[in-house]
Amino acid sequence: MELLLASYKCMKHNPADPTWDARDIFILSKGHGALGLYCTLSHLGYFPMDQVFSFGGFGSSFGCHADRFKVPGIEASTGSLGHGIGLAVGMAMAFKIQGSGRKVFCVIGDGEANEGTVWEALMAATHLELDGLTVLFDHNRSQGRALPIFNPVEKFESFGCDVKRVDGHDIDALCSAIQSERTNVRVVVADTVKGKGCPTLSDEVYAWHRRAPSEEELASLVEELDAAAI
Amino acid sequence: MRQLFKDTMLSLAESDERLVMIFGDISVFLFREYSSRFPDRFYNVGICENTLISIAAGLSSQGFHPVVHTIAPFITERSYEQIKLDMCYNGFGGNIVSCGGSFDYAWDGATHHCYTDLAILRLLPGMEVTQPGSKKEFESLMRSQYDNGRPTYFRIAADEHGEDLPAEFGKGVVVRDAGAEVTVITAGPILKNVLAAVEDLSVNIVYYHTIKPFDADALMPFARTKCLVVHDAFGLHEAVCEIPGISAARHGLPDEFCCFYGTLDDIRAKIGLDSQGIRQAV
Repeated sequence: MELLLASYKCMKHNPADPTWDARDIFILSKGHGALGLYCTLSHLGYFPMDQVFSFGGFGSSFGCHADRFKVPGIEASTGSLGHGIGLAVGMAMAFKIQGSGRKVFCVIGDGEANEGTVWEALMAATHLELDGLTVLFDHNRSQGRALPIFNPVEKFESFGCDVKRVDGHDIDALCSAIQSERTNVRVVVADTVKGKGCPTLSDEVYAWHRRAPSEEELASLVEELDAAAI
Repeated sequence: MRQLFKDTMLSLAESDERLVMIFGDISVFLFREYSSRFPDRFYNVGICENTLISIAAGLSSQGFHPVVHTIAPFITERSYEQIKLDMCYNGFGGNIVSCGGSFDYAWDGATHHCYTDLAILRLLPGMEVTQPGSKKEFESLMRSQYDNGRPTYFRIAADEHGEDLPAEFGKGVVVRDAGAEVTVITAGPILKNVLAAVEDLSVNIVYYHTIKPFDADALMPFARTKCLVVHDAFGLHEAVCEIPGISAARHGLPDEFCCFYGTLDDIRAKIGLDSQGIRQAV
């Protein structure tokens, strides 16, 4: 959530005019995080939050993976991993050709970085010197049980990216990393914890992967979150 | 046909600043004049076909008319999901111009053969699929479609059928209406072998340069004849058989890899797509 909030804090955008032609672009390449993006967009005023409560239901505009034709503010329909980053590169390339100064923000996951297209896209982006592109790497170590991305800073640097590493739950640090001077594509390696603030979730991340809590569990999780906030 | 591809793009780029060429490290020398005249709209991105498609879709989303060019199996079969999702599902456009379709890269072997491109691309909602069989057809189809904002596939061929036929996008061509009981349906350059095969036979011939959208009306006058699809790729036969009331036999590709080298004509002869093999099938 902090990656989303920080991105929009640094972007030029207008919730009252989602297709404003001078807006910056946000792409959620790890498309399974769409619920977080819906909440962020709603929080910013793109649409009322009560609409999001239809999430995942038949006839809802708010699916597990976002549909750009259904939700204001969604720039690309993502879900299949390793696609959004390529689209983001093409958009950043368009803005560079136009000289418009518009920027592109893209959140990718560490699991997503198992996909070769992530690295293809980054190679192309740094070769084209797309310094208007910011890639936020959600380093929540979800791939600890499969194919971990070790030494992400070194990996991204070796692909030509200008890398900053920050606490992914610190919005000010994220904004600083996004906005500081860069020599090429900016990658922000954001160290995050899945289920941050709720030990029930963060202690058993795989058990809670793609699982919705019951009403009772939800109340308990909210209590944990409240305690952490205090 | 590749030379004409270059000339057509050069001509279009002169009047359309939104045309952007994306290369997968082929035909780059051929396009040297384009690259020197329009350096900000020429990108040899590299051998990363998936990313070429995604980049093109991203460019299209911001109002450009990208043209991606590289070898057929790699830009279609390898990049199928990018075409499906980044272009078709997202409603972003882009032109894909391939070379090396079917057996044009005969001596490179089965890794470089590509005869499913037309078949798989025609299954994607919103996709336009063409197989020009002549320079005239390529130029006409490219000029009419490149800036329509939809994903469009153009398959450049190593040879041509040699006929001067109408070249309107989406329209089938009745090459010969002999009032015969047999109708041969074909597409692309292989028409040349079909014509040679049936020169002295009483058969009707219906030809397609556009596989999707498919012009069913062109076939309706022949619906009650015995139809035979002769093609060096999959896709046309399926399109024909989807028309209510029409069934057609197919002569073309075996269900096995073509594991031999040689020339395009060698391969066609081996699998019965030379004029002699087609004549026997008819």
